[in-house]
Amino acid sequence: MGRFILAKLWQGALVVLSVVVVVFILTRMIGDPVRVMLPLEATEEQRAQFEEQLGLDRPIGVQFVDYVTDVAVLDFGESLWQRRPVMEIIVEKAPATILLTLAAIGLAIALAVPLGTIAALRPEGIVDRIVVLISLIGLSIPQFWLGLLFIVFFALTLGWLPTSGSGTPAHLILPALTLAIPAMTRLVMVVRSTMIDELNAQYVKVLRAKGMRPWRVVAVHALRNSAVPILTLAGWELIRALSGYTVVVESVFAWPGLGLTAIQAIERQDLILLQAIVFLTAIMVVVLNLLIDILSKAFDPRIDLRAA
Amino acid sequence: MFMRLRGIAQSATFAAGLALAPAAALADAITIVLGAEPTTLDPHAADDGSEKAVNDNVFETLMVRDAEGNLGLGLAIEEPTQIDPTTWEFKIPPELTFHNGEPLDAAAIAFSVERMIDPELNSEQLSYFSTFAGAEVIDETTVHILTSGPDPILPARMYYFMIVPPEASTADDFAEAPIGSGPYRFVSWDRGNEIVLEANPDWRGEAPDVSEVTYRFIEESGTRMAALMAGEVDLITNLLPEFTGQVPQSASMRGLEHPTVILNTNGGITADKRVRQALNLAVDKEALASALFEGQAQVEQGQLLGATYFGFNEDISAYPYDPDRAMELLEEAGVAGGDITLVGTAGRWLKDREVVEVVAGFWSAVGLNVDVQIFEFDEYLQRLFDKENRADAIFVVSGNELLDADRSFSAYYAPSGFGSSNSFDQLEDWIVEARTETDIDARQALYEEAVAFGHEEAILTFLLNINNIWGMSERLSWQPRVDGKMFVSTMTVE
Repeated sequence: MGRFILAKLWQGALVVLSVVVVVFILTRMIGDPVRVMLPLEATEEQRAQFEEQLGLDRPIGVQFVDYVTDVAVLDFGESLWQRRPVMEIIVEKAPATILLTLAAIGLAIALAVPLGTIAALRPEGIVDRIVVLISLIGLSIPQFWLGLLFIVFFALTLGWLPTSGSGTPAHLILPALTLAIPAMTRLVMVVRSTMIDELNAQYVKVLRAKGMRPWRVVAVHALRNSAVPILTLAGWELIRALSGYTVVVESVFAWPGLGLTAIQAIERQDLILLQAIVFLTAIMVVVLNLLIDILSKAFDPRIDLRAA
Repeated sequence: MFMRLRGIAQSATFAAGLALAPAAALADAITIVLGAEPTTLDPHAADDGSEKAVNDNVFETLMVRDAEGNLGLGLAIEEPTQIDPTTWEFKIPPELTFHNGEPLDAAAIAFSVERMIDPELNSEQLSYFSTFAGAEVIDETTVHILTSGPDPILPARMYYFMIVPPEASTADDFAEAPIGSGPYRFVSWDRGNEIVLEANPDWRGEAPDVSEVTYRFIEESGTRMAALMAGEVDLITNLLPEFTGQVPQSASMRGLEHPTVILNTNGGITADKRVRQALNLAVDKEALASALFEGQAQVEQGQLLGATYFGFNEDISAYPYDPDRAMELLEEAGVAGGDITLVGTAGRWLKDREVVEVVAGFWSAVGLNVDVQIFEFDEYLQRLFDKENRADAIFVVSGNELLDADRSFSAYYAPSGFGSSNSFDQLEDWIVEARTETDIDARQALYEEAVAFGHEEAILTFLLNINNIWGMSERLSWQPRVDGKMFVSTMTVE
């Protein structure tokens, strides 16, 4: 196990390193922050002065060396747009995003496992067909639109929940649900197909022949053996949510997290803030991947370490 | 949930009222939605509409404007006087104080001026105060503001210049917890969630009706509207024109934004004056205003100015919609069916892409072959700022916060301006002269000449002046202003 983790860590480090380089190049390609931030009417001298203050007039090589040495000690510098340390902004915004994604993926798993299992009990049966249909609908609806639909229905028509914002548990429900639904629908399909495979396996027939109670066969034995693919996919959904879908959902619900901050940083060409968000998201993805691998291994010791 | 929270908030306010205030009228608290959260509440640092929306209530300025945009006295007690070409004298009443008790005297004003131009501060607002050279305290209630050259519009600039307390503004937390002198004082800022202000009981003016105001931040326009319709909030900014019928109340006022198209007089098909005039005649401005903006826009009177701006020329009016004449002119110029490039951007200004497409449609209708090029904002800016390679036509939105011809004419009329595509020396001369002309009538005359010339030469395709639109809850009463500022002290709630 130790060697397995070491190998994974090494791979992760390579990914993080390349992200450092790519992010620097990409953020410098998206445009000139001075042009975007000052009023159109600002004079050439004002622009030059502003650029100098931001340190953007230095040669690109110097900027890169500074950036790498700073990143090594997790100092991401000061946001061009907010004019305060980037780390401060991230520490402030990350908890909201982490809370939202964990709630959403938790919800997705909690819904997907029973639904997928029920569907798998009678493949092609009426319940199965309904579950598959719902999944396909959930998968096809754009999240942006789904979020607005939820706002109209739950907040405007029924008046049960606040439309947007944060601060109370009630504020979490709609964004978490919106973020959960596409993940849930993909999970349902995987739970369903792996459970169908498992329920047709030899050992299930043996257990049934032995007279074991049906719910025990399904919930304990078959489900446990389906855990690896489900877990892997759930981990992937977590990564997808963290590194992408939150951008949409946080914007729709004015949820004050990293996703919304990333969008605003892009609109304002705040490349310092943007590179920090992308870099930290990359680290989170690497760490999550590592966790998924370790957990899979714990559930199924047959997984080959070297091949992984 | 929201109702319950409000209940709690109200009973808390009620309890606090019993404990503290004698018989103070505890009018309601309101919630205002802004499109984005301010990044700082330092009133001198950022060029940020959200910061201004909050701080306009916390800080005061020497000059103010009425809802129509006419300049009047704010902190200043009498009309400022230009005692020599580079010195403006302002007088304020004695014994004014900031919320923390610091005196608001001539020294505080001088300090504020010096703070704005301090390179350390590196203010994004410098382009509004570019003529500031310093300030001198004469006595406690008299201050001289020094300008780098004669600056006739300094009083107009002072409407945007907030006076800060010398001591509090040097503290580390000033940008998080601003201290001003206005009718509202800062209470709290829960980053990501809300900013809360409360009425300042010590303010010298009339006590405002709204006792507390909470600012929330929702970027997505659909969500903003939903929050209003669900009764969570009282006022939302930038309501889309097509939704005015769906919200409980809406209010609109002509704003400061003027979409226009810069025409290249130096080259290409637009080098011929007849073509530029034809491009103006070809566009049905009325239709643009009614179809695209649901009537929430006015046709611009052949100049990049609103009727209340300094420099407006009453004798000039919009080019009529006359496609036949446009085609004749194109024929005369020998470019009927010619190619023209129109550059624009998308998502920066209200319906920017749509305006460009409609204009292109009108130009196509008179037989031109229009190549519409929409760029991402930064790429678009590169083209707008590139004086060497000008497209035939570049769409832009001119914002004129100072309500004075200088800012927009320096940018889009004067050949040296970043956004102009002409080389008419007379325009440069008039505009440069007007910039430092201290005689009001002479200055007005210079702009009127520039307006008439710009109209005749059709250096721009004059389009519209767009309204700002707000959505309001049933219980809120408020009259919007030309400058778009949301002074909570002018709002009342039932």
